[in-house]
Amino acid sequence: MSAERLLVDIEKRYPAFHLQVRLSVGAEVMVLYGPSGAGKTMTLRAIAGLLRPDRGEIWLDGRLLFRSDGRHRALNVPAHRRRVGLVFQDYALFPHLTALANVAFGIRGPDRRERALAWLRRMRLEHVAHLYPSQLSGGQRQRVAIARTLAAGPSVLLLDEPFSALDRDAKRRLQGELRQLQAELALPVVYVTHSLEDAFAVGHSIAVIAEGRVQQVGRLEEVLAQPANRRVAQAFGLPNLVEARVRAHAAEGLLLDWDGSELLAAGRDVPVGARVIVHIRPEEIRFIYPNRPLSAAVRHNRLRVRVLEHRHGPDFRLVRVLTLGPTSAELEVRSPPSTYMDLPLAPGSELEVAIRPSGIVVLEAAGPDAEG
Amino acid sequence: MLSALIVSLKVVGVATLVIGVAGTLLALLLARVRFPGRTLLELVLTVPLVLPPTVVGFFLLYVLGRGSPVRDWLGLDLLFTWQGAAVAASAVGLPLMLQSARAAIAAVDPQLEDAARTLGRSEAEVLLRVTLPLAHRGILAGLFLGAARALGEFGATLMVAGNIPGRTRTLPMVVYDAALNGDLALAAQTSLLLSGIAFLALFATRRLEQPAQR
Repeated sequence: MSAERLLVDIEKRYPAFHLQVRLSVGAEVMVLYGPSGAGKTMTLRAIAGLLRPDRGEIWLDGRLLFRSDGRHRALNVPAHRRRVGLVFQDYALFPHLTALANVAFGIRGPDRRERALAWLRRMRLEHVAHLYPSQLSGGQRQRVAIARTLAAGPSVLLLDEPFSALDRDAKRRLQGELRQLQAELALPVVYVTHSLEDAFAVGHSIAVIAEGRVQQVGRLEEVLAQPANRRVAQAFGLPNLVEARVRAHAAEGLLLDWDGSELLAAGRDVPVGARVIVHIRPEEIRFIYPNRPLSAAVRHNRLRVRVLEHRHGPDFRLVRVLTLGPTSAELEVRSPPSTYMDLPLAPGSELEVAIRPSGIVVLEAAGPDAEG
Repeated sequence: MLSALIVSLKVVGVATLVIGVAGTLLALLLARVRFPGRTLLELVLTVPLVLPPTVVGFFLLYVLGRGSPVRDWLGLDLLFTWQGAAVAASAVGLPLMLQSARAAIAAVDPQLEDAARTLGRSEAEVLLRVTLPLAHRGILAGLFLGAARALGEFGATLMVAGNIPGRTRTLPMVVYDAALNGDLALAAQTSLLLSGIAFLALFATRRLEQPAQR
């Protein structure tokens, strides 16, 4: 979306883990999203110079911070000369220093105190300047940590699960402030989180990381609408991931064979015969009223199902069903709470569902038996 | 007793300096750097804590005596001098300092040091502005304990420096001589003085080890 400011292409091997990350970040908030243990924090530490990759390159605003081919002598700018700002997950404020001294810590020059005070004012913290971290609230600590990092004048801001310990309101406020700061300073920001809600609250783009690799990069809504593979879909916690075989390309879309059931999916360029991973969007599955005329929306993909479980969430209704032949699989159906008021949805009820073709998303080839 | 007090003050002064500087550096090394032989080094530096002081003194005779690097290469003949007594006092006081300082440095969250690095501070600045200030209570507590132990040193000092009045006779030796010669008043006065100092040192250590009230 904008010119690249931070370029990362690194690799690091551990006995049981292989980190292989490629990223390019402009003046934007890029969310680094993935389950815990995916390598998110490791990536931030490598960019900051606190963890040395085996090989690769890191560039920041045209400055080479790290380069190694794994054999010859490497270039490795030490952390204190990188101008990479890192906000640690639990803030890492210096307990022996006041809020003011914490913020002044990374500032050099005769006007340290004034500049630190200006940052505290900007973060609405001047009234706690003289307090120690143990005397501050969680939100205040977080703002001191951000002020301290930005006061040092970094060229990029990295945040590691920054607001995870805060309550919802404090989190929303800080996320707004962060976006504003990012826009004012035109900084590249990498924001690590495993919460999709947080990702949408702050991110312009998203990089999904799983098992040490960046799986997919793109605009948030695009990546969520079309996950590249099963790992991305699982990282998002998407239900209804099934395997199917591509039977034919039809005018209306892609014909799939789902273990004997025929599905019409949204069109996608995959070879006929390939085995693919398919995500069936739970909110695109509709129950059919047995005694009403069918609308155009429910023409396709009709399956008989038995209700297994019926729950209500704060703003949705969730029904787990089992499809009844030829395919037998569990699916999750989501709908607004006010729908299907007069349908029998108790566990054990049998009825029919229809799935809109646009709600059946083909992700990727399914493993090594997929040919072509 | 006055001359012994002066000797003791000189010995403890030098020993405290040695224990403070060497102890802090060695504690840093042991707490923060992984290297082969770390455990061995730690054991060698700590063993005077449990060895009979005469054994420590006996080893020091080899370290400081004829044929040793200290004597033959550096040309320092420290045997039977107050400086030799200071070496003995340092060797016996150092383990106490190490135990306390090492634990205090190890307890400093390495993430705070990382944070200081990303804020543009070099390794030396990280040490002076983060690690040592955060560990200062444990380091000071260790220093008090080590100094108190150095003041009370008897066995190793006797082996290395002897008991020469006005030169190497320290306060604990005054107690020994006075008690043997039947001068119980002098023995009691000196013992009271040493006990008072030991009590103060322990009290200060105790205060330092309590968490900061903030």
